[in-house]
Amino acid sequence: MDNKIMTQKDLTEVKRLQLAKKIISKFLVYAFLIIIAIAVLFPFYWMLNSSLKDRAEYELSIPTFFPRNPMFSNYVDAIKAANLGRLFINTMIVGISSTLLSLVVTVLTAFALARLEFKGKNIVFGGMLATMMIPGELFTITNYITVNDFGWINTYKVLIIPFLVSVFYIYLLRQNFLQIPDELYLAAKVDGTSDLKYLWRVMIPLSLPTLISITILKMMGAWNSYVWPRLVANDNMHKLITNGLRSTNLVYSDGTTNFPVQMAAVALVSIPLFLVFIFLRKYIMKGVSRSGIKG
Amino acid sequence: MVYGKNQWKAWLYLSPALILLAVFTVWPIFNTLRMAFLENYGLMSANGGATFSFGIGNFLKVLQYKKFLNCLGNTMLLTVLTVPISTILALLIAVCLNSIKFLNRFLQTVYFLPYVTNSIAIGMVFAAMFNIVGNITSADLSETGNIIVTSGIINNIIEFFGGQPISWINAKSSYAANIAVMVIYIVWNALPFKILVLLGGLQSVNKQYYDAARVDGTSRARIFTRITVPLLSPMIAYVVITGFIGGFKEYSSVVGVFGVNMGPVGDAGRLNTMVGFIYDALENDNQGRASAAALILFVIIFAVTMLNLYVSKKKVKY
Amino acid sequence: MKVVLQNLTKKFPNRNKKVKDEVVAVDKFTYEIPDGKLIGLLGPSGCGKSTTLFMISGLEKPTDGKIFFGEDDVTELAPENRGVGLVFQNYALYPHMTVKQNILFPLENLKGNDKLTKNEMLKRAVDAAHLVQLDELLDRKPSELSGGQQQRVAIARALVKMPRVLLLDEPLSNLDARLRLQTREEIRRIQRETNITTIFVTHDQEEAMSISDEIVVMKAGVIQQTGAPQAVYDSPVNLFVAKFLGTPPINVFKGQIKEGKLYVGEDAVFSVDEADREVYVGIRPEGFIPAQEGVLHCELNGVEVMGRDVSVVTKNAACENPVVRSIVSAESVFPAAGVVSFNLKSNKVFVFDASNEERIFCELK
Repeated sequence: MDNKIMTQKDLTEVKRLQLAKKIISKFLVYAFLIIIAIAVLFPFYWMLNSSLKDRAEYELSIPTFFPRNPMFSNYVDAIKAANLGRLFINTMIVGISSTLLSLVVTVLTAFALARLEFKGKNIVFGGMLATMMIPGELFTITNYITVNDFGWINTYKVLIIPFLVSVFYIYLLRQNFLQIPDELYLAAKVDGTSDLKYLWRVMIPLSLPTLISITILKMMGAWNSYVWPRLVANDNMHKLITNGLRSTNLVYSDGTTNFPVQMAAVALVSIPLFLVFIFLRKYIMKGVSRSGIKG
Repeated sequence: MVYGKNQWKAWLYLSPALILLAVFTVWPIFNTLRMAFLENYGLMSANGGATFSFGIGNFLKVLQYKKFLNCLGNTMLLTVLTVPISTILALLIAVCLNSIKFLNRFLQTVYFLPYVTNSIAIGMVFAAMFNIVGNITSADLSETGNIIVTSGIINNIIEFFGGQPISWINAKSSYAANIAVMVIYIVWNALPFKILVLLGGLQSVNKQYYDAARVDGTSRARIFTRITVPLLSPMIAYVVITGFIGGFKEYSSVVGVFGVNMGPVGDAGRLNTMVGFIYDALENDNQGRASAAALILFVIIFAVTMLNLYVSKKKVKY
Repeated sequence: MKVVLQNLTKKFPNRNKKVKDEVVAVDKFTYEIPDGKLIGLLGPSGCGKSTTLFMISGLEKPTDGKIFFGEDDVTELAPENRGVGLVFQNYALYPHMTVKQNILFPLENLKGNDKLTKNEMLKRAVDAAHLVQLDELLDRKPSELSGGQQQRVAIARALVKMPRVLLLDEPLSNLDARLRLQTREEIRRIQRETNITTIFVTHDQEEAMSISDEIVVMKAGVIQQTGAPQAVYDSPVNLFVAKFLGTPPINVFKGQIKEGKLYVGEDAVFSVDEADREVYVGIRPEGFIPAQEGVLHCELNGVEVMGRDVSVVTKNAACENPVVRSIVSAESVFPAAGVVSFNLKSNKVFVFDASNEERIFCELK
């Protein structure tokens, strides 16, 4: 075999090319990433920018990129006009109670499936997993009839109970429970610890990250849910925030949409989510990468 | 492990979940199937004592329904457009992001932001960005003063680069423009999850493959097509499959941009989707038709998923 | 192609970010590797040998110093422009490609004047596969190969583009003992046939000694000694090198030089012309000669017969090793227990200064 692969080009030439290539490719990569970042952030910026304008400024044919005269009153108008205060309370009631109940049910179920031996366990678990394949719309149709029959329309119950059990969360938590060594459970049994005490003192603390992920995703779900609430809870006492946002017509007296106030309302709905994200980024991203389910 | 005498305990712990699942998950599966085969089944009329004959009329009617075919077409079109665009874009972003250190975490956070949004709320922001207030005439456009009429920020940007503003979502807007807006919004919304999954996949690829390729003088493009994509193919298959499933259930993003009318002013329902059709049928008290449509949706999703799995089995490289 | 390393230095920022100091992985590495030779870079894990190899390949950038291939300064050159072949410790075979595709891969990267036609590529790939005796396995995937076969694919992939320098990072560490022996012969044969300057990294001294033309012994980023394996073995410059080379390992005793005598423990074993001081005395296992009136006295532990030779296991209070291991001719006769005495071969005994563990070169009489 001959020993030369590189033709003896001038070494400095090669080095210059090499450096140029490196700089250009780094530049292109950053340029691409920053353009995408701008595209991602722009709607948020435009939402805030628009929400602080008065009508005249908003409708300028040459837009202003910073409000000349910030109209914080738009936010007050939005809260009043869209009844956001009430919607917020409704959403919180539904979100918190459905999250708490869902946690209790999920923990109990996952514990039974992970730690206890009983006949038919595999059938129960397999059956649960099988239901994950079916699109939710299929359930919604009959559930709508069912809650009608129960007389639950326009109550909190109808928003909390029907979709309380998530097979996916059960699955996630069961996997987590299974990783806790059997020996801990046996040791607790020897010491005379009851199941529930063991669950509370050992298993829950050890699976806290998963439980936090579930909590956040469930709360976000309540905050973002639209389809089911729209169907079954349309009165002001029970309406959730997303429905209120879309169904309230924020218009000027001449009938055109009052975009600044609408954007203020949108910002008010979005900001809590961002705050949660900033503080709990790790748990959210972990939970999401495992689920692929929005909300 | 506890055997035998404690069996009742296990069932006790399971009971809340099992009861709820029985009422709100298992029963609906059977009932929806049943209703789908009862001609014109409606809740009100059922409560009123009407009886329904058994048959496949609901399916036939749904499939002949222009509205349904329109919904099916919209859903397919949006899915077929958004899944490849968002997957390729997410792949490029993930690969670029994986190759840099400076700003890496910051950009990761930025790209994830659309995930933690309310798709109705941000849909309204997109509507505002594409919206035109007032009538744009050439006279308006030539003036640069404080004329009170905005063609929307997107049109402003297009004009800035020398293009012609068009009506994206307003009355008399074209179908193509409507679809373009929806594609942009859905892709924007779908990117975070895909980037997250693909970036996770990239980080788990052994760095030595890249070192080996570098020593052999492989160009970036070739590293991408011959090493990164094949090694990432399981993750790519995953985001494509979940993307298709999500795409066929598209609904609230359209509501966000176009409102409950599901179309521009004067053409309600133009952009309606399969899920939208199901809810419309529910609200019109035709549970039979809604069930039939839901079953059709289920069959389509199932078939597409199987097809995806079949293709990825052939293509996923190891 | 000769490879010259001048003052090569690599510093890494400390893992613990609060500590400002940098970790020096390789310190002022200077060495000239002659054309067409097989060089073993040898040292315990973490001594900087792999870092040195990666600097030669271009994957790591040196903090300081220069690298020359022949007359070309390649220090600033990216790996793809150096024309090196690199075999990774765990081979880094592309799992989604067949053996043939893996071997073809580097050829398909060639551009411009170097570009080959499909047939040329195929011919070279087949030649490379033949060289490493993989002719039958070209259409298999890496997951269908044994460790040794994967190893040979990795070598073929590194060789196929006819590199100027071949670099091997711990190439045998993932193989079982029998395969290791076989594969190292293979590497030696391939290197002889291709005559490519080859540098390979290992922590196994036996491996390095058996196939290298020259070895470089490293410790904590610093070269300890270089030279032909036998020369280094026969004359280590410090205690570290003496201990690192040889199986069974050298026996190290505490001793001293007092009034012209070299003492091992209580026993005076040689006369020396050196100032009095504390020393370590290293005695190779083959340096012991059993003798009734021997100078070194040890407590017999047992005798292990190894055929031609026997390994005599004894105890000595001054010895740093748990036992004193000596290899003597099988004809020697030993009592069942008790004290045995040895005379020592002066060329198998090395004296090191106890304060800095450097060799004291002196004549032992």
